[in-house]
Amino acid sequence: MMSTQLPWLTILIAFPLLAALPIPFLPDKEGKTVRSYTLGVALVEFAAMIYAFWQYYDLSNPEFQLVENYAWVPQIGLNWSVAVDGLAMPLVILSGLVTTLAIFASWKIKHKVRLFYFLMLALYSAQIGVFVAQDILLFFFMWELELVPVYLLIATWGGQRRLYAATKFILYTAIASVFILVAALAMAFYGDTFTFNMHELGLKDYSLGFEVTMYAALLVAFGVKLPIFPFHTWLPDAHSEAPAPVSMILAGVLLKMAGYALIRFNIEMLPNAHVYFAPALAVLGAVGIIYASLTAFAQDNLKRRLAYSSIAHMGFVLIGISAFTDLGTSGAVLQMVSHGLIASSMFFLSGVTYDRTHTLMMDKMGGMAKQMPTVFALFTAGSMASLALPGMSGFVGELAIFLGFATSDAYSTTFKVVIILLAAVGVILSPIYLLSMLRTVFYGKENEGLVSNVTLTDANPREAFIAVCLLVPIIGIGLYPKLATQTYDVKTVAVTAEVRNSLPIVAEQPFHVTFPLSAPTVLGAETKELAGVVK
Amino acid sequence: MDFANLAAQLNTGVILPEGIVLVTLMVVLVGDLITGRASSSRWSPYVGIAGLLAAIVALYFQWTTTTNPISFLGAFNGDALSIVFRGIVALSCAITLLITARYVEQSGTALPEFIVILLTATLGGMFLSGANELVMIFVSLETLSISSYLLTGYMKRDPRSNEASLKYLLIGAASSAIFLYGVSLVYGLSGGETRLSAITTSIVANNGEQSLGVVVALVFVIAGIAFKIAAVPFHQWTPDVYEGSPTPVVAFLSVGSKAAGFALAVRLLVSAFPMVSEQWRFVLTALAILSMVLGNVVALAQTSMKRMLAYSSIAQAGFVMIGLIIGTDAGYASMVFYLLVYLFMNLGGFACVILFTLRTGTDEITEYSGLYQKDPLLTLCLSICLLSLGGIPPLAGFFAKIYLFWAGWQSGAYTLVLLGLVTSVISIYYYIRVVKMMVVKEPEEMSDAVKNYPEIDWKLPGMRPLQVGLVVCLVATSLAGILSNPLFTLANNSVLRTPLLTPATIAPPASGTALLDQPSIHSSNSTLGG
Repeated sequence: MMSTQLPWLTILIAFPLLAALPIPFLPDKEGKTVRSYTLGVALVEFAAMIYAFWQYYDLSNPEFQLVENYAWVPQIGLNWSVAVDGLAMPLVILSGLVTTLAIFASWKIKHKVRLFYFLMLALYSAQIGVFVAQDILLFFFMWELELVPVYLLIATWGGQRRLYAATKFILYTAIASVFILVAALAMAFYGDTFTFNMHELGLKDYSLGFEVTMYAALLVAFGVKLPIFPFHTWLPDAHSEAPAPVSMILAGVLLKMAGYALIRFNIEMLPNAHVYFAPALAVLGAVGIIYASLTAFAQDNLKRRLAYSSIAHMGFVLIGISAFTDLGTSGAVLQMVSHGLIASSMFFLSGVTYDRTHTLMMDKMGGMAKQMPTVFALFTAGSMASLALPGMSGFVGELAIFLGFATSDAYSTTFKVVIILLAAVGVILSPIYLLSMLRTVFYGKENEGLVSNVTLTDANPREAFIAVCLLVPIIGIGLYPKLATQTYDVKTVAVTAEVRNSLPIVAEQPFHVTFPLSAPTVLGAETKELAGVVK
Repeated sequence: MDFANLAAQLNTGVILPEGIVLVTLMVVLVGDLITGRASSSRWSPYVGIAGLLAAIVALYFQWTTTTNPISFLGAFNGDALSIVFRGIVALSCAITLLITARYVEQSGTALPEFIVILLTATLGGMFLSGANELVMIFVSLETLSISSYLLTGYMKRDPRSNEASLKYLLIGAASSAIFLYGVSLVYGLSGGETRLSAITTSIVANNGEQSLGVVVALVFVIAGIAFKIAAVPFHQWTPDVYEGSPTPVVAFLSVGSKAAGFALAVRLLVSAFPMVSEQWRFVLTALAILSMVLGNVVALAQTSMKRMLAYSSIAQAGFVMIGLIIGTDAGYASMVFYLLVYLFMNLGGFACVILFTLRTGTDEITEYSGLYQKDPLLTLCLSICLLSLGGIPPLAGFFAKIYLFWAGWQSGAYTLVLLGLVTSVISIYYYIRVVKMMVVKEPEEMSDAVKNYPEIDWKLPGMRPLQVGLVVCLVATSLAGILSNPLFTLANNSVLRTPLLTPATIAPPASGTALLDQPSIHSSNSTLGG
């Protein structure tokens, strides 16, 4: 492991929060100083992040890097232990990019400016903390730290039904995070040794029943956040009611926290249980894709439609991580990064549209391409990326997941065919709802009611710049995927190799506890065969 | 026998902090008579605070120097645990004094007398934290209780204050009687022993390991304690008393009086009832579950801030009881830690409520709407304190809850921990509702009270102390979590250095003989001999 002179990760976590503290005291009348100050802080943070990773991060090393470990509250075994590996590093950069742009995108926030930027910076810290924490209690701390800022951001600056959406968000997330804490305590106290360190927890030898229970608890916790199909109902409300910059962060980064955590906890730490749950994950992913795509089609609200499309795209992540192949896992990470960029660009552009039209109802819009050609072009580009047009990052991610799942040797052919077929249907549905959205909003005749009420001005340079900042990496990754994959490849290969190790182990000790899950029986037979092959 | 010899034999140095409080009390009382009302209401709060701080310093010296903690022939035990609890009681009184001055001033009642009664209650609470003998326990409990009744009725022109006082008096007197009855049973069963450390051995010698009488006595005693800490189902007085009493009194009742109750619970249950520890753990588990569920659920429906805080304090008592029930080192330590943190966050919350009431004359939750625009400092303090009570990181309350649940899980109290976690999610809802009221509401949704919010004037007499109290609580609540290491050490040491708790956790709880080896008994014997 490499040692560096400066505790970079600690600095990255602490800087935005510390920099947020003087905000109430800045001399400022109209909020202009505060927003420039905050943007400056965000840019410095982003630059420091890039510099630290550029200088000290070794791409070819699958181990943890930039490791820091200090005892924080040794009485309960809580350590300030942070590190990045291939899994965390791209997501840290993603959150840096998206949050910085979101701060730039909130230029128009007029009331309670200080509070807004204070919360944004607090959120910045919490996001990075979640991705780099290597102590499960510290992870929980960071996970919870993000709750109240998001709640207040939605509740104060959101749309019409913001209070309802914010309350729903905080209740869902808070209840789900109870599961994280319970799992953390249970795993930490399991066996003879006591530790909260995530790496050491991964090395513990859990009994299968225990592992399965923990897996289920964590799956619920992260499933709410990701979201997985039956737990998703908070998301369309929260994402559509939040102000555009907050939606950018919600869709761009916060969903990825759950995907990241699924890989970090469920797969890396509980690989044996993952073997049993993977088929269920694949099924839930496929169901989520179909369900969310169909629902998206029925939405009249622009942001609600985008929110449902997020649910559909996160379904691919689930399929990817249940594939047991390098390509599948790598595709899942790529899909997270790519969706982070795409979703935040789409939500940003819908915010730009809303600033002009003051409505999100698509039937009140129409024919806006004529007066807003730049917005139209950017919106189209975003939609194309979202529907996985070749040459855009969405395509690479989904293709990798399909290939990874199709080549997986852990499932029967029938199972694979069904899942891929269902997911493919989702891929067909996404152009339908996205193109129809473009058509209603931008094509056709101008909506009389709209044009007579508001003046549609095209995107100003600031808005165009933000959208381009997100679209450039989307196209870059689409044309040359190695840009993104090289940051995490060694790590995902290691993760897959580890989880594949448990395939034969589980097959040797069939899980005969009565657990209400039908899929493992399908898998059980397969893994036995596979075990035979391995032997 | 000369006086010095007598003092040395009784080991009176142990109650030096109480002595300081007592002297302060006399100074305020006599000074008020000599200097007259007008001048005494100016200096008396500061004298009170100075006295309490001196008492805390004295406690600190007792903490650092190890002397024989048993004094007055075993009636008072100044061990590490009692030092911490006495510190909590004294500190809560000191902060209450800070936030009191303006409130009493504005209500037009006499401040010095209020301070005298409050100091008397504190004295009772401090003695209760170290009381090691049945008569001593009862006397200090009554000192605390009777002063509390007086305090709740202090606003004698306000009918709600009178009502609160009467309710508190009636229920309190009944519970005292029940407690006394339980104590008398213990006295009888043990063959006339009053020292807690000797009771167990006598009871076992007289009645064998288990006896129905002991269980009956236990139930009565727990009822008395549960009244003091406001645990469900002995909580009925809490909402009404909290709503009607002067707010500073409520602040003290919810922290100082409650802490003293917990100190009593630990000492009495662990040292006098080890042979029925399974039974008292069971009863307390039921009380804790009821308190957490009922406190948190009923708090959801409250429209008055003080009533909401009343139910919240019932729920918080339920959380603290987890630490007592599991009875491990970590359990007791987490309880102490929680109370330390609770002191700051709850008093901070009440300081904000007092300030708001002073400026607007109301404590309805809806009246807080839009306060952010008019008074950001108050909004910040109240938000931080409430979120900390809800257990949101990075505030102190988060660490306190984590430690409790950590200790609970460690000792296998899974149901309690799960229930605690679920109910704290519920609590987040009602705490954040207030934050939402203050922060989220637009200027046009402002309540009338906030619209007519007076200009903030810190120059008025008694406002500076209130501001200081507010800021102290705010800083402590925000930083005591992140920099919690010293507090954790303090809480852990208070348990590890208390001989009472250490053998109880090592030896099987039901064995009476293990208690014979307890160091406290030897030391008390040696005191008697010397």
